[in-house]
Amino acid sequence: MLALSGVSYRYAGYAARVLHDIDLTLADGEIVGVVGANEAGKSTLCLVASGLAPGSIGGGLTGRLAIDGVDMKGRPLHEFSTRVGIAFQNPATQLSGVSGSVFEEVAFGPMNLGLPARETVERTKAALASLGIEGLREREPRRLSGGQAQLVVIASLLAMRPAHLVLDEPTAQLDPEGTRLVGEALRRLAATGTAMLIVEHKADLLAELCRRVVVIDAGRIALDGETAAVLGDRRLVDWGVEPPSSVRLGRALEARGLEPGLIAGSTA
Amino acid sequence: MPAPVGVILADDLDPADARDIARLVPDTPSPYHGLNPLTKAVIATVGSIGAFAAGGYIGPIGLNLVMLLLAFRAGVLGQLVRISLLLTTPIAVSVVLVSVFTRAGRTVLFEIGPFDATVEGVDFAAQTLVRLFAISLSIGLFVMTTHPRAFVIDLERRGVSPRVAFVAVATIEAVPALVERAGIIGESQRARGLDTEGSLRARLRGLLPLIGPVIIGTLTDVEERSLALESRAFSRPGRRHLLWAMPDAPWERVLRWVLLAGLAATAIARVSGRI
Amino acid sequence: MTTVALERVGFVYPDGTRALSGVDLQVTPGETVAIIGQNGSGKSTLVRQLDGLLRPTEGRVLHDGLDVAGVRVAVLAARVGIAFQNPDRQIFAGTVRREVEFGPRILGRAAEEAARAGAAALSAVGLDELADANPYDLGFSRRKLLALASVLAMETPVVVLDEPTTGQDARGVRRIQDVVARAAAAGRTVIAISHDMRFVAETFDRVVVMGGGRITLDGPPADVFAEASWPVLASTYLEAPVAARAGARLGLGSTPTDEALVDALAGAARSA
Repeated sequence: MLALSGVSYRYAGYAARVLHDIDLTLADGEIVGVVGANEAGKSTLCLVASGLAPGSIGGGLTGRLAIDGVDMKGRPLHEFSTRVGIAFQNPATQLSGVSGSVFEEVAFGPMNLGLPARETVERTKAALASLGIEGLREREPRRLSGGQAQLVVIASLLAMRPAHLVLDEPTAQLDPEGTRLVGEALRRLAATGTAMLIVEHKADLLAELCRRVVVIDAGRIALDGETAAVLGDRRLVDWGVEPPSSVRLGRALEARGLEPGLIAGSTA
Repeated sequence: MPAPVGVILADDLDPADARDIARLVPDTPSPYHGLNPLTKAVIATVGSIGAFAAGGYIGPIGLNLVMLLLAFRAGVLGQLVRISLLLTTPIAVSVVLVSVFTRAGRTVLFEIGPFDATVEGVDFAAQTLVRLFAISLSIGLFVMTTHPRAFVIDLERRGVSPRVAFVAVATIEAVPALVERAGIIGESQRARGLDTEGSLRARLRGLLPLIGPVIIGTLTDVEERSLALESRAFSRPGRRHLLWAMPDAPWERVLRWVLLAGLAATAIARVSGRI
Repeated sequence: MTTVALERVGFVYPDGTRALSGVDLQVTPGETVAIIGQNGSGKSTLVRQLDGLLRPTEGRVLHDGLDVAGVRVAVLAARVGIAFQNPDRQIFAGTVRREVEFGPRILGRAAEEAARAGAAALSAVGLDELADANPYDLGFSRRKLLALASVLAMETPVVVLDEPTTGQDARGVRRIQDVVARAAAAGRTVIAISHDMRFVAETFDRVVVMGGGRITLDGPPADVFAEASWPVLASTYLEAPVAARAGARLGLGSTPTDEALVDALAGAARSA
């Protein structure tokens, strides 16, 4: 369980707060989507949930971040890495750049934990298998497609065996094929019990994966609830969020005096 | 291409895993490639510094010949010579021009305006060129026969902090990325009308719009990468258990000490005026 | 105004990889064209032929019917402006205003002209109130809009946008749709590379599909996203937008956009 209580945050060198009084819980195995306009604070939320803010980038945090009941205040960053992993949108800058093979790239994290070689290899094999990318193990990371590279990034995080994953727009820079690959990988992961916090503009993807969706507006949580209810809420437009296709088309039909149910089942 | 003979694999691996890991080790197309990275680094150091420690012509020319022979055995002779010539020629030209004409000397060969070309100047230029080429061959041979990762893993095995080792190899591997970035930025600015094909003055004026994005882009990349690395416990202190390491034969250890001792002796002899 | 044309253009990179084969493409003033296809299908290589960043290894590139083979990029940039995907590859000025005026100044416009064009461009992308801000104090999506504005300010007859909607939220996408429509209304040609199929179907008159360095389909969205074209789309790892797929499943013919789908359903309801 990852719990943010009364969390506010301002970036280093800035006086204004970017997050205000955030209360957000990610229960074990839960998959929660995060939506909101750009600059509403979604990425900041990810940085705070993963400990990188203030741990790596500084800034001022008030409130409490607790993971599995443990208050994480002041803890060194490497202690976060085995509890919560974070993936960003650009696969190229998340690869270490020093590995000649995907296997060594994924093994990088476990090795940093000082694990014996045998266990490093075990974890690496398991991480590759959980995403179905064992076939990429001898490939050079920099030669992979965007989607494949993003899968390697996620595998690298999984090798740390965190109970929680934070994904900040993982498909934003990918082509449709890459998006499909990552979507499929996330579906597989969902079945393994890893809790996930996923920020995305692609509401269709979130509608499929998430049990719960949170709307962030101007640094605050505007809405937090069951996926269908949140993504069907008419205020999404005011918060700068595009609803899923089925909702959007349904509303377009309503506006014409037609039954939204006419398209039921056809938008999957 | 086979993995290096005797590559050290972690001793607690399953045989099947060990075979798989062995396949990940960088190729060594020649025995020279298979030498321990530190040995090759010492050879490069002795070759470059030795060229300056030794006086006269015989020492430096000898070093050049040794490097060329090693390069031949390693199968990189043609490539090494080509790149060395490419890199040293611009410097060589300026060295020759400056030395030939400004070196104080008595025996004048010919004159151009107020400048005298002296025999002493030509001699100095020739000596400098030979040494420059020796440095270029030495360092070039090392770079061409050593995988950055193998070098860094070797350093880590010898006790260098993993984080320092990482920075070392990331810096080396960042160079091609930097060149590529500069190219892409150049493209974006040219698409806005920045003239990179015109007069020299126009090209110089056009440098600022290129430098800014290169620096900012590199810094942003570094920032994003360091955040991603934190999630992989990069900043955790302590040693790591490596999956593989380059072998280091006893005779190589002896060779390294002998070479370094030779270098030291040459330097002392030179400084105390004996050669 | 400029018509840009590619005539049997082929391109092979110095390392031997072939990126384009036999590409024939003609665009006219006021036309909006989207180029779609998987990464590696040749989209980026194609648009770089338009302003001379890359030169064809076979075939010709024509501006107004004239072969531009020997013409410098700096000159062609006055006719074809390209806004690349990553804004941080070009932003270097200390303020938004200076950044947006850079392009026109380089093209030789006078200071007042550049200021006018810059202000108009900032207004078109909704950044006018941030003219004095430092670009790096703005978020990534706003910097992308700034890069777009910088190219708009050059007032080139042809504007090329490379993945304009990635990283944009719903408002940002609508803003870009607006920009495309207004540029076309002003008689400019707008070409965009995109992998957002809904954005493509709603915003562009014409869609060019690329696969393996060739153009595999070229036509209006209604044709390109119709069910008959799906195998071609699939071969370049693309899918038609949701509206098109829903329309096909409901037996309504080709409905590439939400509006077309709703129209078709309304028509079907009326005749029921």
